[in-house]
Amino acid sequence: MSQRARLGVIAAAVVVAVVGFVIASSSGDNTKESGLVHIVVRHAKPVGGVREITVKKGHRARFTVTSDVADEIHIHGYDLHKDVIKGGTVSFDFVAKMDGGFVVELESRSKQIASLKVLP
Amino acid sequence: MRRRTAVAVALATAAAAVWPDVASAHGLVGRADLPIPSWLFGWGASIVLIVSFVALATLWPQPRLEQAVERPWFRIPAWVDPICGLIGVALFGVVVYSGLEGTSEAMNNFASNFIFVEFWVGLVILSVLFGDVFRAFNPWLAVGRALRWAAARAGLSSPVRRDYPAWLGRWPAVATIIGFAWLELVYTQKTPQTLAWLCIGYAVVQLLAMAAFGIERWVDNGDGFTVYFNLFSRLSPLIRRDGVLHLRPPLAGVPSMPMVPGSIGLLCAAIGSTTFDGFSNGPVWASLNPDLQSLFKDLGSSTNVAIELAGAVGLLGCVAAVGLFYRLGVRGMQTVGEGYPSTELARRFAHTLVPIAFAYALAHYFSLLIYNGQAVASLVSDPLGDGSNIFGTASAHIDYGVISGKGIWYVQVAALVVGHVSGLILAHDRALSLYKRVRDATRSQYWMLVVMVGFTSLGLWLLSAVRQ
Repeated sequence: MSQRARLGVIAAAVVVAVVGFVIASSSGDNTKESGLVHIVVRHAKPVGGVREITVKKGHRARFTVTSDVADEIHIHGYDLHKDVIKGGTVSFDFVAKMDGGFVVELESRSKQIASLKVLP
Repeated sequence: MRRRTAVAVALATAAAAVWPDVASAHGLVGRADLPIPSWLFGWGASIVLIVSFVALATLWPQPRLEQAVERPWFRIPAWVDPICGLIGVALFGVVVYSGLEGTSEAMNNFASNFIFVEFWVGLVILSVLFGDVFRAFNPWLAVGRALRWAAARAGLSSPVRRDYPAWLGRWPAVATIIGFAWLELVYTQKTPQTLAWLCIGYAVVQLLAMAAFGIERWVDNGDGFTVYFNLFSRLSPLIRRDGVLHLRPPLAGVPSMPMVPGSIGLLCAAIGSTTFDGFSNGPVWASLNPDLQSLFKDLGSSTNVAIELAGAVGLLGCVAAVGLFYRLGVRGMQTVGEGYPSTELARRFAHTLVPIAFAYALAHYFSLLIYNGQAVASLVSDPLGDGSNIFGTASAHIDYGVISGKGIWYVQVAALVVGHVSGLILAHDRALSLYKRVRDATRSQYWMLVVMVGFTSLGLWLLSAVRQ
């Protein structure tokens, strides 16, 4: 293959790749903010397993935690803490400015109750 | 952040750990990577295929990297080695001291952060950029050389050396790398104190082995970390020879890698352990793991031991799967003309896995380095986690905004694609020099292409199948 043909093949491949990327990246999903998620903690465990809260970066993340044990609710990464009393409910409402996956847990028990996913 | 799970397992949580609770070790971690989305997976896979066919059509017809020329750049002054050695020994001392005397919370102890982030991940990247950096700072190597120098000055003759057995090759290094991966990814009780004692134990074993087999002979083959970082330094454009720093084309150091026994095992260990890191956070392992654990519990293990044994099975399984897949590709290549035995072909093409190993490491550990690497700022001021503030930086926080989640995805996919292309280039170059007929060389490469596409697709799948 001549040098020119080689460059031609490479150039064509680069064009295909770039066009493919533009088309593919524009077809992302449209999740924006979570509805209000209610997490219920019974016997120090989340009812129904670890809940997933999904929001898009820059949008509001909203959820409440009702717990039958007193503990501190901690959202890692964001480092938000709120104390919940036995039988009490606390709510979180904040703008998700960092993307990534973040653990929400009963701090003193190191027990994960929810997973906050902030999509880029 | 898979990684961080491992890195940061809290003893307290670990003590009570059963599978679902292991995820709570994440808690110490802060921020986890999101799985790459399906559009990026599809695009990455397409790029790999396009690039592969373009490579087959356009790569050079004569071997280039096999006889690449190294150009001398400058002589490294004689005082550099002792200084670097001193820094290495000092850092080793700080790590061991922090580990022994500091807090048992991994995240707040300098030792854990330094070993799992700066050392294990940071040095891989430094090696690719600047060559064999670890050899210069290797603390046990520095101590060994200092003792030899002192003994010579005192007129003591060096003790009788045993010959390093040729069959042993790099197998001690393979065991070290798999052992370290198990410690990082599986072991439930890795307190900073345990790490410190392991550091001391490892260094003592290295010194004894150096005394038995000779310093360089041992370090080049048996010291797992020297061997591991040297592997990646072969990708670097910088190489030191006889005290002179030389420049060479990127990748040109890889074909000259000596294929002593254990070399293929080393590459499989490097790729397989990173594979397990991704795999153990994916859905397949999540369904396999509880069964394995209950099997070990039924056999009489405690909960923690069952977790550790199940993890060991998974880790060794991943290493074996990587090796098996490579051997299958080589089997295919054997069917192509000129009748090379498959063991010979396996040795001749194993070096093409070096860039794949780096791509896997970068894709899996990049966010750990970028985020948790920042913790070093606060930890140098408070290495023991006791509230001290030596340099006034103890309150520094990790800035998770330093790179976006999308940026991390792109780095991960780019690493895999570039690793793939580098592997193809190396294999192509080797085939040209190995096969007499160009036609055989080309046909042999269909098989290497299958191997490379397989590893790259596996890498993409691991990144896309992260369980949160």
